[in-house]
Amino acid sequence: MSRQRNDILQGTLVLLILKTLSAQGRMHGYAITAHIQRASADLLRVEEGSLYPALHRMEQDGWLRADWGLTEKNRQARFYTLTAAGKKQLATEQESWARLTEGVTRVLRYA
Amino acid sequence: MGWYRRFINVVRPDRLSREIRREMDFHMAERADELMAGGMGEADARREARRRFGNPSTQQERTRDTDILTWLESLGADLRYALRALRASPGFAIVAIVSLGLGIGANTAIFSLINAVILRTLPVERPEELMQVTMGGKEQGTVFTNPLWEAIRDRQDVFAGVFAYSGTEFDLTAGGESRRASGAWVSGDYFSTLGVRPAVGRLLVRDDDVRGCPPIAVLGYGFWQSEYGGARTVIGKTISLDRTPHTIVGVADPSFFGVEVGESAQVYAPLCLRPGLDSRSNWYLRIVGRRKPGVAPQQVATRVSAIAPAVYEATVPPRWGVGERAEYLKNGLNVVAAANGLSPIRRQYQRALIVLMAVVVLVLLVACANVANLLLARAAARGREMAIRLAIGAARRRLVRQLLTESVLLAGLGATLGIVFARWGTSLLLGLLSRGQLPVSLDVGLDVPVLAFTLGVAILTGVLFGLAPAWRATRIDPQAALKANGRGVAEGHSRFTIGKALVVGQIALSLVLVIGAGLLLGTFRRLVTLDPGFKRDGVLIVSVNLRNAGYQANRYGMVHDDLLGRFRSLPGVQAAAASVITPISGSSWNDFIRVDGFTPKSADDALAYFNEVTDGFFAAMGTPLVAGRDFDARDRLGAPPVVIVNEALAKKFFHGASPLGKYYRPVEHDSLGAPIQIVGVVKDAKYQELREEALPTAYLPLSQDSAQSPYANYVLRTAGEPSSLAPSVNAMVAEVNRSIALELTPLSDQVDASLARERLLATLSGFFGALALLLATIGLYGTLSYSVARRRNEIGVRIALGAGQDRVLRLVLGEVARLILVGVTLGVVAAVFSTRVMTSFLFGLSASDPATVAGATTIMTVVGFAAGALPAWRAARVDPIAALREE
Repeated sequence: MSRQRNDILQGTLVLLILKTLSAQGRMHGYAITAHIQRASADLLRVEEGSLYPALHRMEQDGWLRADWGLTEKNRQARFYTLTAAGKKQLATEQESWARLTEGVTRVLRYA
Repeated sequence: MGWYRRFINVVRPDRLSREIRREMDFHMAERADELMAGGMGEADARREARRRFGNPSTQQERTRDTDILTWLESLGADLRYALRALRASPGFAIVAIVSLGLGIGANTAIFSLINAVILRTLPVERPEELMQVTMGGKEQGTVFTNPLWEAIRDRQDVFAGVFAYSGTEFDLTAGGESRRASGAWVSGDYFSTLGVRPAVGRLLVRDDDVRGCPPIAVLGYGFWQSEYGGARTVIGKTISLDRTPHTIVGVADPSFFGVEVGESAQVYAPLCLRPGLDSRSNWYLRIVGRRKPGVAPQQVATRVSAIAPAVYEATVPPRWGVGERAEYLKNGLNVVAAANGLSPIRRQYQRALIVLMAVVVLVLLVACANVANLLLARAAARGREMAIRLAIGAARRRLVRQLLTESVLLAGLGATLGIVFARWGTSLLLGLLSRGQLPVSLDVGLDVPVLAFTLGVAILTGVLFGLAPAWRATRIDPQAALKANGRGVAEGHSRFTIGKALVVGQIALSLVLVIGAGLLLGTFRRLVTLDPGFKRDGVLIVSVNLRNAGYQANRYGMVHDDLLGRFRSLPGVQAAAASVITPISGSSWNDFIRVDGFTPKSADDALAYFNEVTDGFFAAMGTPLVAGRDFDARDRLGAPPVVIVNEALAKKFFHGASPLGKYYRPVEHDSLGAPIQIVGVVKDAKYQELREEALPTAYLPLSQDSAQSPYANYVLRTAGEPSSLAPSVNAMVAEVNRSIALELTPLSDQVDASLARERLLATLSGFFGALALLLATIGLYGTLSYSVARRRNEIGVRIALGAGQDRVLRLVLGEVARLILVGVTLGVVAAVFSTRVMTSFLFGLSASDPATVAGATTIMTVVGFAAGALPAWRAARVDPIAALREE
């Protein structure tokens, strides 16, 4: 697998994408960035440079399915949907995220 | 994304790039829209959208690379990782690769023979158009007389070209002991119909094949190379064929070996040179045609069949009886596909090769089970590794894929080694085949079908033995595996059950192979040791042909009498005699006889077999005379005709009463010959083959045959090695006349040659049976060793609590006994069902011969316990303190 330097961010991005698609259903790339930005009250901004490689890799891993369709503005866009494997992956990632944050929080609190 | 799409992505990256570009353009358009909604001008908005996105080309490449490289790179990483993993445990890798190499090599070797003998088409132009002409009917005869061939050639209208040929062995020497080269008499259109080109000079053409043609010959390429070193100056030189000089006119193309698979014609001579062309009862020609383009095979059959009555009407053999003529005219004509060539080897070995293929597939399965077992043990050892990789987010599919890459890599290495083994194996196989009655020449090189087969087998086995262990290895709970302190926890109980099932399967399959080998070896042993009715050792057969030695035909008898006398006085010769037919030579002569008081149940029921011999033949062969007398000086031409019969003839035609002094009459076409008096009875002896039931046989005295034959087969009995007589025999015959052609064969070699197929089957099944046994032993040993290592703590506790060494031994050996019992039971049941296909190969025992089954089972059990003894002993020697301290 090609390795990125920002591994943690990469992992988080995957979680965010999975969660977004799980909540919103079928979406194209731009709508995903928009949603993450909006939902995080502008705290998080998705870099386009990471988004598409991530989407394509997730598709390769079988978590997402992609197909071409028309937007409401009648533009051709590539829409992504969560697969069953993606849903399972989301559960796993959510759990490990929870563990990670809990661990980090504890360290910050007691160390 | 499916494999297909990924593959397309790799092959057509431009298409993928365009898609990604479209996706990105959309993204920037949306961004620009948003910016414009915020009040920015259109041009600025576009520029800003682009700026924020970064360089789209770089993005495009990165995204595309993710798609392609994720796949390719992970494949490369898998391979590198797999190689590293194999290097890390060389012992495992070597055992696995050698097991697979033997299994795959055996399969490749047998398949390359099957490919060469059965599957491959002739290396000629458009082989699918070739058809062989047969006689149709239920006998499907394939040989014709020359008059029949000429009639068919002149009347047919469906072949663009048609030819006849007859395989033969030419005598190459001009004087002294014969040296044979396989060759063929071929009709004029032989080469043109097949589309063969000359390598040097010219090939035979239609005009070469006319009555009274000059003696010329074409050489096969291999013969040209081996005899003449490939010298082009050979054209125009002469070669002696059957003691007659022939002018060499050309050499055939290197790839051409004739139309008979397994034989390789070295010399071709025009059919017109063959003696006896006009005989209507001399059957020796095979006919092959190339159908005209656009004529369907079915049409060819119909048209050929239509000319049959006229063809047979024109060629009725003279002097045949009314009944025989009617039978003759009933014959038809038909065609069969000949794209793969014609092959006596194929007829003889097809079934044997298929049985061997089944055997090697079983061996490969046992090898696969072995490797699967090793992989399972390894998977247990790598439980932590898998757990960690799962825990840090590797997809299970991904791990399975990586483990499968490892197994396919193993299989690939095994296949490479297998190809090396197969090269040895095929030359060994050809050696075994060539000890038969027919010389065998096959091209068993690695061609595309063989390599494709090996590759397919390698991939299939890789997946077959890799899938279950990979599945098990990745089915672990990472948390549990990581929390528990290491060893022994990652593998659940069921993992071990797979291992045991594999061992049981190995034992069962190996037992089937050992039983099969036992049956074939038993058959071979019975055939080799049976009493054939003559003593096969110590006899030299000297085949003499006076035809081209310059004698008048009416002097042949005298020359033979002279030769016999000289043979008898040769030092070292205890007894000598002459005969027309020697046993197990492939020649046979039969006719109907009439005996008063015997009513045949059918026409064939009155058939008897014949030979003509001189006095002393039975003594030389070691066949006891049980009643009456041998031939002697009384039995001259003109004296009352006499005969010696064997016990089988006496029993059948005289109902067991003594036939001495009684008569039979030969059936000659529609009439009966003069009665012949029986003066002696000999013990039954094998005539055509060792397997036969004793055939009713009559031995006539050569001295009463008025037709003087140029041929005779002398049998010389000696106390020593028969071939040691060769120099003195050669010198003696050369002294009489250097032009006399002679060939020397020990009788035991002639008998052995008839067992080539049995020897092949016995040798190979024995070898493969032993191999399977060895693999199963390794499997059993490995599984038990592993099981003992795993239960070290438990055993330590048992010993600490007072269990004696014998209890521990019993514990482990009990497990061995259970595995063997289940495996052996399954094996015996499987063998009873599967060895039935071998019935036609067996002799003197049934396919479920109890002694063989019992013997094989005993061997399996003993070997199994031997494999279990070492781990059991190790278990008994466990030091409880050390074992428990490890905990």
